[in-house]
Amino acid sequence: MMLSSVLVLLITNPGAMLTEMIGASASALNLCIELCAVYAVWLGIIELVDASGLGEKLSKLLRPLIKKLFRVEDEKTQKLIAMNVSANILGIGNAATPMGIKAMQALDDKRGKANFAMIMLIVVNATSIQLLPTTVVGLRASAGSANPADIIFPTIIATFCTTLLGISLVLFIDKILRKRKKLA
Amino acid sequence: MSVYVLPVLFLALFVYCIFKRINTYDHFVKGAKGAIQLVIDIFPFVASILIAVALLRVSGITDFVARLLSPVFGWFGIPPEVCELVLLRPFTGSGSYGILENIFETYGVDSFVSRCACVMMGCSETIFYVATVYISQTKVKRLFYAIPVALACSFVGTIVACLLCRFM
Repeated sequence: MMLSSVLVLLITNPGAMLTEMIGASASALNLCIELCAVYAVWLGIIELVDASGLGEKLSKLLRPLIKKLFRVEDEKTQKLIAMNVSANILGIGNAATPMGIKAMQALDDKRGKANFAMIMLIVVNATSIQLLPTTVVGLRASAGSANPADIIFPTIIATFCTTLLGISLVLFIDKILRKRKKLA
Repeated sequence: MSVYVLPVLFLALFVYCIFKRINTYDHFVKGAKGAIQLVIDIFPFVASILIAVALLRVSGITDFVARLLSPVFGWFGIPPEVCELVLLRPFTGSGSYGILENIFETYGVDSFVSRCACVMMGCSETIFYVATVYISQTKVKRLFYAIPVALACSFVGTIVACLLCRFM
């Protein structure tokens, strides 16, 4: 990807390459500083949720679903996934990320290959169910829309479709792969 | 309404912690401390993907691909004006918000195109970014079918989004 871009730039606009790269890296740094602030708040809150025993309760509530969907038996991992999924549903994606990373670490079996639960977690996050598209509504309002919130309903329907499709596709592919393994 | 959700949740949590006799401050500090290490760990991955996207954009490759694909997208009912957004959305969150604002300016916030773009933004995620960051702290190098499945869902989501915007 990078190679082809650099190749094209060599012909069209060689002077812009380095400035663009450093600019992008600078915006990554900015983003990370922003994320650090956001994570500090959310990781603090999460620690509280965890210490107060609410995390335990939440994961107990979602456990049947998570057990079925991710096929994870370990309780600590179940808890992480439960918090990741609920943060996603609440529309606080920034809070979901640190827990997602931790859940991934817990799921990692150190074989260098993604297992079923990891793939499921990525797909669920990548097609995230979002009940409140706050950022987009905010942007619409600031751009002077007559009714900034009128996209919420279609968004919920669309996001529901993608998540449902994602989960069923992963389950379907996994089924086929296992059948093949059995035959072989 | 939605502005009250988080404050109320936080308040309930703090009250619950006091009720449970937990040292709220100490635990909060302990959690917050992890933020710096986490950000240091993911920075190289965030930087690399943003650099790659910047190169793709400035080299004009995305523009070219968007023009190439717009008839195909049109066939699925996706307006050609949102092609660039559809292509870049999986890579960059902040970048795609920039494009979204561009669409607002060019076509008007309440136009069909803008509303399609909004719904599509809401039902998709920065897939490559999420995948990169999530696996960055594991030993995993290959994700098998995770990315194709996520991309396919996003694409279907975009089609559904544009379809819904015709009626709603």
